[in-house]
Amino acid sequence: MLIENPLSTSPTIFPILECIHIAGFALSIGMTALVDFRLLGLGFEEQTPAEIARAFDWWMLGGLIVAVFSGLLLFSTDPDMYYLNWSFLIKMACLVLAIAFNYTIHRRAVSLSLSPAAGRLVACISLALWVSVIFGGIFIAVIRPGLT
Amino acid sequence: MLISFLIWLQNLEPFSDLRSSAYVYPVVLALHLSAISLFGAMIVATDLRLLGWAFEKGSIAEVIGRLRWTKRIGFILAATCGFLLFSSKAEEYYYNPFFRTKILLFMLVAVHTLVFRKSVYGNPAELDREPESPARAKLAAGLSLFLWLSILCAGRYVGYVEGRAGMHFK
Repeated sequence: MLIENPLSTSPTIFPILECIHIAGFALSIGMTALVDFRLLGLGFEEQTPAEIARAFDWWMLGGLIVAVFSGLLLFSTDPDMYYLNWSFLIKMACLVLAIAFNYTIHRRAVSLSLSPAAGRLVACISLALWVSVIFGGIFIAVIRPGLT
Repeated sequence: MLISFLIWLQNLEPFSDLRSSAYVYPVVLALHLSAISLFGAMIVATDLRLLGWAFEKGSIAEVIGRLRWTKRIGFILAATCGFLLFSSKAEEYYYNPFFRTKILLFMLVAVHTLVFRKSVYGNPAELDREPESPARAKLAAGLSLFLWLSILCAGRYVGYVEGRAGMHFK
């Protein structure tokens, strides 16, 4: 027996979930960006990158959890469309890379004090990965219906 | 008067090109969201510090002072992308209730800035002298979070309003 997804039957819930999704990823990406900007020499100066990361780590993780769970709910409304959409697939690849990068190389680069040049490189890779996740998300709607 | 200006604006070549472009328009939209993400969090970080919920090792003066210019640059980036998106469909946006709400909320942000300039943002060193972040700073931070979150939601809903008939797109 098929069960109707209650999220698909309500026209109001999808945009609300999208707002939650945007707020979540803006928080998590922005909190990571604070650390990246510090590595690039912008913004904070008195604190080390590690201190900034520690101060906002939990907010970053909180935003990420909100974004992932609201994203899963959004995905559940039309899984076939998302699964066949190459922009969505690229977004997922970038997301996995961004999260993996964040908790391995990025974290290590922040806690060990690397040379400024290496720090800047890590910051640029981190920013590029997270921004590509946003681009992937926007283009889901552009290339619809996608693969067949 | 205003509406004829908006029709003129949206039919200027760069903006009508943007409107009819399949790929540049979403790129500008993605840049708009990227700027919001990268720099919106600076507003959140400032508010969290004022509320005493994060970064308590750093002073309020540091958070407000150090992030001031990067925040302004970020706002200009997000606003420029937003202006491009608006200008390509200016007439339609004029009638969009969520766009109007968003503009109203920006005006409230301006009022918020004026109201709290003297007591909070213009004099962070004084806030740092108190043992805990004072009530007026927490109020300013709470209102700021509420306003910016409302702007974010209004912005998302702008895109849900169906295009109108009878627009003067060339």
